[in-house]
Amino acid sequence: MTGSHLAAAVPRPGPGRIVRGVLLLALVASSLAPLVLLAIWSMSGRWLYPALLPTEYSAASWRALGAESLGPALVTSGALAAAAGLVGCVLALPLGRALARLRGWRRHVGAAAAFLPVAAPPLALGTGLQVVLLSVGLGGTVAGVLLAHLVPAVGYLSLFFLGTFTLFDERVEAEARTLGATPWQVWRHVLLPMLRGPIVEAVALGFLISWGQFALTLVVGGGAVRALPLEVFALVRAGQDRAAAVGALLLVVPPAIGLAALRWAAQRTAVAPA
Amino acid sequence: MSIRMCLRRGSAADLIGLGAGVVLAAPVLVGIGYAAAASLGVVGPGATAAGVERIARVLAERTTWRGLGLTLWVAVLATALAMAGAVLVAVLFRGAGWFDRVARGLAVLPLPVPHLVAGALGVWILGQSGEIARVLAAVGAVRMPAEVPALVYDRWGIGLALTMAWKESAFLAVVATALLATRSVDVEDAARTLGAGPLQTFVRITWPILWRGLLPAVIAVFVFVAGSYEAAALLAPSDPLVLPLLVADRASDPDLGRRGDAYVATLLLLGIAVLAVVAHEWTRARWEPLDP
Repeated sequence: MTGSHLAAAVPRPGPGRIVRGVLLLALVASSLAPLVLLAIWSMSGRWLYPALLPTEYSAASWRALGAESLGPALVTSGALAAAAGLVGCVLALPLGRALARLRGWRRHVGAAAAFLPVAAPPLALGTGLQVVLLSVGLGGTVAGVLLAHLVPAVGYLSLFFLGTFTLFDERVEAEARTLGATPWQVWRHVLLPMLRGPIVEAVALGFLISWGQFALTLVVGGGAVRALPLEVFALVRAGQDRAAAVGALLLVVPPAIGLAALRWAAQRTAVAPA
Repeated sequence: MSIRMCLRRGSAADLIGLGAGVVLAAPVLVGIGYAAAASLGVVGPGATAAGVERIARVLAERTTWRGLGLTLWVAVLATALAMAGAVLVAVLFRGAGWFDRVARGLAVLPLPVPHLVAGALGVWILGQSGEIARVLAAVGAVRMPAEVPALVYDRWGIGLALTMAWKESAFLAVVATALLATRSVDVEDAARTLGAGPLQTFVRITWPILWRGLLPAVIAVFVFVAGSYEAAALLAPSDPLVLPLLVADRASDPDLGRRGDAYVATLLLLGIAVLAVVAHEWTRARWEPLDP
């Protein structure tokens, strides 16, 4: 019997149905309505105060996507996020595995070290990274921004793999070695097939972490790397709400699809993250 | 066991693991080192001679402390609201039926929304001519936008706190829901079998499980809110400036001599992050042991 079935079997202390109904309505208003409004804004034409909804609709902002700055920024963000997901996963997998082999207080020190770049405010992190990347000629370049995005992404994914390897049964690996497999063969034929699910999830998580990065892109990119969040921010600041809403939707949809896919994958994965 | 003892015992796994930790923390440690050196006037803009004058001057400014106060206030308020929302969802919608599943699904909808989009939504919904103002006008509660309480650029950062609470409540709802689904059911069942009432069960079983399990995530949310730049840039007041905005403001000061002040504010932000990391790991060590 699963946890959710057990939860259903336990008699709830039960607030009344009215309270639960009101709270559900509040959830619809607070969670769903803003995202629906985002879609309406992106299609709005004339919409003056105090009208609740637009009096005219227009697809002009969507049609202008290819011609204006959002299109190229979308491509830049997509490329950056894909690279951050792939490279971040390759780097974080051995780091997370190394952290998972620590025991006692050393494991907490390792986990804290991995959490540090995740917790550090991106703007503060960027000021230090900017100096280093400028000194090696990568300031204001896509490569420099990618390296900057990798810092929080690798930290986050290392924590992810720490959880994964904590639940991993190392006896499988030991048995393969006992049967004469080389370390490479163990990786190729034992570990990678077993870790396929977590690896896909990690790439998706790395993508999402890079996709929404604003401050790091701004500071390290120096305004020369025009990723999608920077363009949306500029449009909001300029009061171009319709174009900004289009960009905001473009920022929301890939993570939403990614997270839905992750939840689906997590339900199917044997080696689940902690 | 110290690193020296690890070496003596030849514990390769410990050395590799701690080495991995050093690699992961290095970019932040370098940042802290550079910010400290720039704050001392050794490197960076406005560097003249090493000394603590810059740090003393920035720390003596009322703007710095008001900014720190507003940053902490917004982070505490947003985290508390997000936690309250998450706990409500986890406790009231924990069944397996469609009603509960829909409610939990709605609660996690803001999860994939980037901070920037949350900030933009805050502007468009909470602004004096935003959606809430339009609804109030439609029901006749207000006639003009100026009659709507200002929640964008407002002095107390309420709009920013509400926006961040909305965004971060989804993360806490995921954690809280998972906690109750995996840890509390058997114990609650046992408590009820032993005669505990619903209130007693909640106070003595459900709530302790929730707050202990949620604490690391709550600390993470606190530091995410305190360090968020983009939502603050769209919603926070210009006086005082929250710390991320203070860093950006000082870093672009027309007076080159004052640009180095940004590093002192950066150090404050990084200090909050380091304290949060220590607290996060301490709470995990206390209640969420990592060892299998």
